[in-house]
Amino acid sequence: MARAIVLASILAVLVILPAISIAFAESEAGQYVNRKAEIWNLFFKMMTIAFTVGAVVSGTMIWVVWRFRESHPKAKPTKYEGTDW
Amino acid sequence: MSGHSNWPEWIYIGVVIALLAYVGGEAWNVERIVEHAPAEAEVIKVTGQQWFWTFEHADGTKEVGELHVKKGHPYKFEITAKDVNHAFNIHDYVVLQDAIVGRVNTVWFAPDKAGEYPIQCREYCGLLHYNMRATLYVEE
Repeated sequence: MARAIVLASILAVLVILPAISIAFAESEAGQYVNRKAEIWNLFFKMMTIAFTVGAVVSGTMIWVVWRFRESHPKAKPTKYEGTDW
Repeated sequence: MSGHSNWPEWIYIGVVIALLAYVGGEAWNVERIVEHAPAEAEVIKVTGQQWFWTFEHADGTKEVGELHVKKGHPYKFEITAKDVNHAFNIHDYVVLQDAIVGRVNTVWFAPDKAGEYPIQCREYCGLLHYNMRATLYVEE
């Protein structure tokens, strides 16, 4: 099950991201590679991924801190914290 | 941790691995495309020294402080330095390569618009570094 989920996730990203990049790709105008277009395209793609990952990671951390605080209504003490809550 | 489901962790790991693979693959591919000089590219030898640039075309013609090229034609720069390290930069065409003493670095480009473009040293090379400039003339 876990392996299937990992494989499905990998495939989803590997198929979806290239599809998006092709959809937004700049059409090739000249006979030779346009260095400026290639390098800026790469930069924009990397920045999109960096900001997305940054948002997900920081969002997860904020949620974890909010959800597992001691004062959360559904907080449960672990066995290391005693039972006098 | 009985009854604990760990599928979100597996999805997270899968997405991270896939993103890393995509980022690595894409960067590798763009680098390959950008660095692959066409066979018909004309070689121009570029020499940096305090504080000017010298250009030598394939036919032996030399230019100092200015470089004349043709629009739509690919050029491969062979860049070196005579005294200290410099860096050869044509900002408008995203050409940037170190000029190192005793070493030849290469970079290629194909100008697609006629006009005059500044060439500038991008590695601090002494008192007049700021003025180590040249002009690229792209002709029709």
